Amino acid sequence: MSAPPVPELLRAHLSKLAENDERLDGRERFQGREVIVETGVLARAEGSARVQMGDTIVLAGVKFQIMTPYPDRPTSGGFMTSAEVRPVSGVHWEAGPPSPEAIELGRVVDRGIRESGCIDMEDLCILPGEKAWQVILDVFALSDDGNLFDAFATAAMAALRTAVIPGERFDVGEDRPLPVSKTPMMCSYHRVGGRFVYDAVRREEIGGAERIHITLGDDNHVHSLQKGLKGAFTAAEFEEIMQHARSRCAELRDLVNN
Amino acid sequence: MGGYGDVQMIDENGIRMDGRSAEDIRPVTINAGIIPVADGSAEVIWGTNHVVAAVYGPMEAHPRKIQKQDRAVLDVRYNMAPFSTTDRIRPGFNRRSREISKVTAEALESVVLTELYPRSKIRVEIEVLTAEAGTRCAGITAASVALADAGIPMTDMVISVASGKINGIVVCDLNKEEDNYGEADLPMGVCANSGDLVFLQMDGDLSPEEFQIAWDYNMGAIAPVHEIMIDALKRSNGGEE
Repeated sequence: MSAPPVPELLRAHLSKLAENDERLDGRERFQGREVIVETGVLARAEGSARVQMGDTIVLAGVKFQIMTPYPDRPTSGGFMTSAEVRPVSGVHWEAGPPSPEAIELGRVVDRGIRESGCIDMEDLCILPGEKAWQVILDVFALSDDGNLFDAFATAAMAALRTAVIPGERFDVGEDRPLPVSKTPMMCSYHRVGGRFVYDAVRREEIGGAERIHITLGDDNHVHSLQKGLKGAFTAAEFEEIMQHARSRCAELRDLVNN
Repeated sequence: MGGYGDVQMIDENGIRMDGRSAEDIRPVTINAGIIPVADGSAEVIWGTNHVVAAVYGPMEAHPRKIQKQDRAVLDVRYNMAPFSTTDRIRPGFNRRSREISKVTAEALESVVLTELYPRSKIRVEIEVLTAEAGTRCAGITAASVALADAGIPMTDMVISVASGKINGIVVCDLNKEEDNYGEADLPMGVCANSGDLVFLQMDGDLSPEEFQIAWDYNMGAIAPVHEIMIDALKRSNGGEE
């Protein structure tokens, strides 16, 4: 991503709004945009989803490959996440190898899913020590108006929950649904105008400071945290965010599971 | 009968496996303005193909060495998403996508009034979300609609379609199964109003007679797709259908 010129006017505007506890698009501090989830949107993927949050639109596609299990875990399959933020999704995303921002996006989404244990890696074993399924999750931005993190994480879970292991195509048994036992969900917060807001739009990201990403499992267990960009926050601020994340993750989970 | 093995792709009445006649194209749906943050955008659903295009600009061209003093440069990228094919594609440019990007840029440069925007750049981003034979044609068509949706002045719109040969018979717009057994492929990009060609490739084996049929099939497909493009632009810009 190219560094936008320091948007001092935007920053001042956002601070002014924050004084009255307002946001650019009229939302409240912890109010998210409407989230629209569609599944089965990619004909060539074994599981797929499209998530729209305002003008942010992303896709997630699940593909499967046969891998040789790692020597130290001969009965385990694999899981890999790759985030592609192609220049189609915004004037600020440039062509070329994945930027540090895109790599961070993929890794944070990956960690939340992996660490929740929602995919049973042992179940992906075909022949111990020789053959196992590798689940490959590709998240793809179509339109970036902020908070790709949550859009990716939501689309990822919706796609995984509809994925079918293509046993017949690879000649290793019948097709069967990928077992996904939990639904980890991510909530992201940005410091905008001095205080944290939930689900920032792109202009809030540009004029904001540090961000915090929280992934919570079904039982409110914490599965991944990430603090990004320059800035420092207090324990009290984090506590407030965590409180909100617990209720919002549950709402998003209901949306994805149904 | 030519072709590989005994696979019969066309029956004795000239009907193809998906029910089309030789000169028929697959069903085409086009929507404009589908990427809210882009200056112009479009999606083309052509059979099972799903291709999106976004346009950004005109904007300042940097680094300066890429600037043209008398016109804008078209910065075109064609890419296939990793989940667009049966076997996952590893992300990143390859020789095929670079070549398609290059010929697509040259096709579009022939109709965009680039001389109106000296020293600037117009970005055209083509992404294949689902591939089913003919993605380069769908990409050029999508890019044309996205450029128009962005309000970029053009002399004409480009529609691209390919004809080929299966079982020794020339047919228009091969689908994936037909393409796997195809004996020739003739993709063309044609200006809707002038009828001029701005994109042309071919591979395979066509007799002079077969070549003429393939050429005519392609030309016959231009006007119907042009109608669908115009309809998409009217809908996205608030006009009546």
